[in-house]
Amino acid sequence: MFNSGLIALRELKERIATRSFILMSIMGPLLILLITYLLFTYGGDGKQRWRVLIADPAGIMENKIMANEDNSVSYSFADDYLEMEEFRDGKRFQEFDALVEINEKVLSNKTVFVFYRDKPAVRMQTRIQFQIERRIEERMVDEFTDLTVPEFRKIKQPLNVAFRNANDPLDESSDKRGWVGFFFGAMIFTFIFLFGMTILRSVAHEKSNRIVEVLLASVNPRQLMLGKIMGIGVAAFIQFVIWCFVIGFGLYFMREFLFIDALDASKIDMVQMTKDVQEQTTFEQLFAAREYNEFVELIYERVQFSTMITHFLLFFIAGYFFYGALFAAIGATSGSENDGQQFVLPLIFLLCLALYAGYFTLLNPDSSTVDWLQYLPFTAPVVVMVKLAQGYAPGEGYQLYLSLIFLVISAIIMLFIAGRLYKNGILQFGHRIRLITIFKWLKKS
Amino acid sequence: MLEVKNISKSFYRKIALDDVSLHVNQGEIFGLLGPNGAGKTTLIRIINRIIEPDSGHVRLNGDLMTQKHLSQIGYLPEERGLYKSMTVQDHAIFLARLRGLSKADANRLLDQWLEKFNIGDWRKKRIEELSKGMAQKVQFICTVLHEPNLLILDEPLSGFDPINVELIKQELIEMRAKGKTIILSTHNMKSVEEICDRAALIHEAKKIAEGSISELQEERKAGIYAVKFRGNMIAFVNALWTGFEMIDKDILGDDRFEVRVKMRGDNSFEDLLKVLIGQVKIEAAWEVLPSMQDVFIDLVQGKKEVADVQ
Repeated sequence: MFNSGLIALRELKERIATRSFILMSIMGPLLILLITYLLFTYGGDGKQRWRVLIADPAGIMENKIMANEDNSVSYSFADDYLEMEEFRDGKRFQEFDALVEINEKVLSNKTVFVFYRDKPAVRMQTRIQFQIERRIEERMVDEFTDLTVPEFRKIKQPLNVAFRNANDPLDESSDKRGWVGFFFGAMIFTFIFLFGMTILRSVAHEKSNRIVEVLLASVNPRQLMLGKIMGIGVAAFIQFVIWCFVIGFGLYFMREFLFIDALDASKIDMVQMTKDVQEQTTFEQLFAAREYNEFVELIYERVQFSTMITHFLLFFIAGYFFYGALFAAIGATSGSENDGQQFVLPLIFLLCLALYAGYFTLLNPDSSTVDWLQYLPFTAPVVVMVKLAQGYAPGEGYQLYLSLIFLVISAIIMLFIAGRLYKNGILQFGHRIRLITIFKWLKKS
Repeated sequence: MLEVKNISKSFYRKIALDDVSLHVNQGEIFGLLGPNGAGKTTLIRIINRIIEPDSGHVRLNGDLMTQKHLSQIGYLPEERGLYKSMTVQDHAIFLARLRGLSKADANRLLDQWLEKFNIGDWRKKRIEELSKGMAQKVQFICTVLHEPNLLILDEPLSGFDPINVELIKQELIEMRAKGKTIILSTHNMKSVEEICDRAALIHEAKKIAEGSISELQEERKAGIYAVKFRGNMIAFVNALWTGFEMIDKDILGDDRFEVRVKMRGDNSFEDLLKVLIGQVKIEAAWEVLPSMQDVFIDLVQGKKEVADVQ
């Protein structure tokens, strides 16, 4: 074990001294923070500012629309008919991103066509729909009721329809939280793949430069393999800790200094929102704020990071040993470095399958398929992270630990099998790898 | 010191070693000889416990070899590598610690070796900055740094220039004087003659000869004698008559020669001297033993001829 420790220490020193490790430790989390920042800032909207032309020959909207101060959409009006082709090709209409066609019958048939040049993001579609709808409402209130608009707004309260799990009625946003679990699961597999490839390359490199024979005269193949997996694993762990610190600090910084108001979920009060509903400007601001805060609230309020990170680490370690042993075995059995790369393809397929299993779990959390996917060592890390984020139903918490136990046992078995392949393959050079040879090596002690 | 007993090893259908036994004494340099593919590397790997034999065993100082004995062995494989990104000191200390040396001792001994080879300024250099010859020296130091009692060197002199070959040879002789045992696997027969005490030859998975260098040469001597004389060459040839055959000659001066003569029939060295005395002035005469190169070729080809006949 001492020798495995020495091997691990050497691997660790070599990994953390490389430029790519340092770069990935800093650039990786910064990239995630940048994506988060963009999501906070633009909420997924591709275009920052939309110019919309409303063709309203009947003057139904009276050249008015809800006041909007966020500058993300600006409206112009045309009081004449405008054909879609004319809008599309006409020089003077090129400055507009979309054409809204308000026909005379809109108050009765309640249909409005929007022609766009580049498809607007869902959020922009919602925004345009929301603003036109409010204006049409006002016109309908004038036309068909004796109410004033403020009176109408008082009556028309927004209705939230919440879909809840009957077994876990307090669970408010398991879908969105599931995505966070998926993100954690995907992180596990990203780290496993990146560092698994490092194991493979390191083993293949030691084979090709023949240092392995010197090492094997001091340590047995299993010690060598275990040391290598441990050393590279610790490097992966260090990188993960750096990611956690940088991302954690970045999120804190954003919350405290960049998005003080927008990121404060507590400032969104649904009761207050309905009170302010008469004032269109406030309503508009709240509309935007609510959109932002679904994501913000998810990040800052809903995700139990301590639980997620603890289980992330447990499943990462077990999953890493499971897959790491496979990568090491491939490196040891390959005749050349290129050979090894080819045999990685089935592993990549397995990793993709695991990610798909996570996505499947996200969409069908209560499916019976998920029940066994969470126990398969290949898919368990991501499936369990999604399930954990969504929340286990009462009485099903044992599944989490059963998955972990299965994964640990599988990792031990895999280390044993890989050790056998490693032992028999590590001193074979320049051969063509064949399945039959692998079976022979597996049978040999 | 080291006893290899009835070792057999096969890789699927190919027999790599067939019932090989040999004995290496404490404080000797033992040559492990054989053509390419004979099974030498397999035997060395078995001794180092890198691979396990199908049958047979290895004993070190009377004990069955186990993992704990490995710290007493220094192994320099033929195809050796280094971690190119590591510095000389990190590399040497890493390997020494794997062999059970403490970090402080490894540092101290590394200083001594670097000083001895006059390469102290390489300590902090990365391996990738070294030339092939320089890297070979570092590999040698890594092999001996933990002061092993048994050194197993597979082609240790390949890649060195003549000056460094001499340096390494002297180092091996010095180690032998200190009681270390050295197994030297090489194709360089001149080195075997110069520094080995005993040798074994492996051919086609079997050991076909083992003994001291002089014994191996004696067994294959062909009754050839060298005579250095002053006088007339025609008189010398006439004196030989039909009992002897001159097979080679060197002209040393106007009337000085060195001639190699092969005995015919039952004629002996004394008979040769008798016929020559009075005909030429003999300055020296001695029996010519075959070189290890000749012994090697004779053993390997002789074995092949036997196989062909069968």
